[in-house]
Amino acid sequence: MDVVVLAKQVPDAEAAIEIRGEGAKLEIEPKFATSIFDEFALEEALRIRERHGGHVRVITLGAGKATEVLRTGIAMGADEALLLDNAAFLDGDGYSTALALSRAVAKAPWDIILCGKQAIDDDRGEVGPMVAQFLGFPHVGGIVKLDIGDGKAVAESLTEGGREVVEVLLPAVFTVQKGLNEPRVAPITGVMKAMKAQIPKMTPEDLGLSAQEVGLAGSKVRVKRYLPPKKRPPVKMIGGEAAEAAAEAARILAEVERVI
Amino acid sequence: MDFSLTEEQEFFKKMITDTVDRMVVPKAQEIDHKDEFPLELWREFGKLGYLGLRYPEEIGGMNADPVTAMIFYEQIARGSVGFAQSVIMNILMGTYFVYRFGSEAIRERCLYPAMRAEKVATMCFTEDQSGSDLAATRTTAVKDGNEWVINGTKMWITNGPIADFATVLATTDRSLGNKGLNFFLVEKGTPGFSAGQVLDKLGCRGTITGELVFDNVRVPAENLLGEEMNKGVDYLGEILDEVRTMTGAMAMGIAQAAFDEGLEYARKRVAFGKPIGSYQLIRAKFADMATEMESSRLMVYYAAWRIKEKLSSRKEAAMAKMLATETCCKVVDEVTRIWGANGFAHEYNPQRHFRDARFLLYGGGTHEIIKDFLGRLIIGKS
Repeated sequence: MDVVVLAKQVPDAEAAIEIRGEGAKLEIEPKFATSIFDEFALEEALRIRERHGGHVRVITLGAGKATEVLRTGIAMGADEALLLDNAAFLDGDGYSTALALSRAVAKAPWDIILCGKQAIDDDRGEVGPMVAQFLGFPHVGGIVKLDIGDGKAVAESLTEGGREVVEVLLPAVFTVQKGLNEPRVAPITGVMKAMKAQIPKMTPEDLGLSAQEVGLAGSKVRVKRYLPPKKRPPVKMIGGEAAEAAAEAARILAEVERVI
Repeated sequence: MDFSLTEEQEFFKKMITDTVDRMVVPKAQEIDHKDEFPLELWREFGKLGYLGLRYPEEIGGMNADPVTAMIFYEQIARGSVGFAQSVIMNILMGTYFVYRFGSEAIRERCLYPAMRAEKVATMCFTEDQSGSDLAATRTTAVKDGNEWVINGTKMWITNGPIADFATVLATTDRSLGNKGLNFFLVEKGTPGFSAGQVLDKLGCRGTITGELVFDNVRVPAENLLGEEMNKGVDYLGEILDEVRTMTGAMAMGIAQAAFDEGLEYARKRVAFGKPIGSYQLIRAKFADMATEMESSRLMVYYAAWRIKEKLSSRKEAAMAKMLATETCCKVVDEVTRIWGANGFAHEYNPQRHFRDARFLLYGGGTHEIIKDFLGRLIIGKS
């Protein structure tokens, strides 16, 4: 079973972010992490390999320290890593990013593509479905369970107040979300392997694309302006009887703040 | 000059930081409150292989250089000193002489299981009447045929009461002072070898520290850990600088943990209508703490670099240990002040960092001894 994981490097959740140039750009403290949903994807890929055999390949589009995402993947157990590393790839929207990634995926055989349902920096959730579209294969979104059978898969996703169970023929693309698994901690042997790994890189030309088709130049959507979020007061009073107030507090935590 | 870590070291730092955040930090308060050896965490952490950090890859280790090792020591201490002390004893002091001088049979019984966290190691120097003054060691080893007979007691032994094997400093001739000291391997189950009092400590709780008793303990001749007799102090010198620098790295870990707590509190705690971090005196505290931590950290990693490059490092290691631990004590003190009354509550972390930091002032060498050593080095013998 050949599994490809698409993983993105995003600013660390504690990185300081400031809006500059009157909303034209963001200045982000250089602290980075792997997008958490992509970590679930990586873990699931490793579990699929443990159950069914095969190969796990991790692909990242990014510059400079983005190799850390791939080294983390290797440390956890991925067999192979690839970095799409070229200035032309950068600052793209979901479309141009997905185009580049889909070409990279297609460089080798694959059965399953896994990626996070969204990146935790832009929260767009576009790349996974777009990669599926570019490759001409089905996509199942936001899965919390995945069982691989003979040439097919059964996936579960969460819906409003329930779950949806989908059966799909392979090859297919799955975007994953929290609840699918608990990512493993990399053993020292993996860390050592990752530290020494030579990460291959590809340019647009290697993917059969021009610089105008990728990154910012190839984007269909452009960011016009950044605005700061509205400041909320630090304390919100919840009225009513204890049972009602508790239910409302739980609803806010789950649906508004999304911390449970 | 390039002060940056290599790309590999940066990656290693990221991985161990993440591992500590996920596995150790969530358990730190519980480890401190219960003051019990965290066996489950020990086993889980042991599976990752970090306890082989210093030893060659050929025997299952990581062959980490001293700088990389310091990154590890700093991060594990940042997570929990109560856990870190036990781990580091297994990685370094408790196993080094077994690795260095032990036969393959001894390595099979002791070193390799310790690297897998299947056995707990310790090193025994301190006695009731001797800590810095090694020449005053009273534990004796007397040759009897093909065996050594060891008698004495050791105190303040990290991992001691739960150790599966111990590297024991004993004198074979008290009249020779330092020059009569040797290391011996003693394994659990050897008749006459037992644990005594377990100490109830102010800090570093979770590490089991206490007394070990040697009552006519007989060990085979091969358990003398050394190529030559009476070279114990010389052999100790092989790791002394790393032990001191390691203590400095641990101090930086504790300081960082406390500093981060202080920073978060200063940003959120509101007094007189605004976060306390907006007041000048609080800002001054952070300026001072950050400056001293940066300089201390530089000293620690400079000493580690000198050890790695096999340059003379005795002075730098002593300075690093002293500077970093004094800085750590200042930082943990300031953070409890920033936290105010909440800094006094067991419920929160700052009090734990405050208590944990104290031991570093004496562990690895008291600062009075270190200052005397440095002063003699600088001024020269009178």
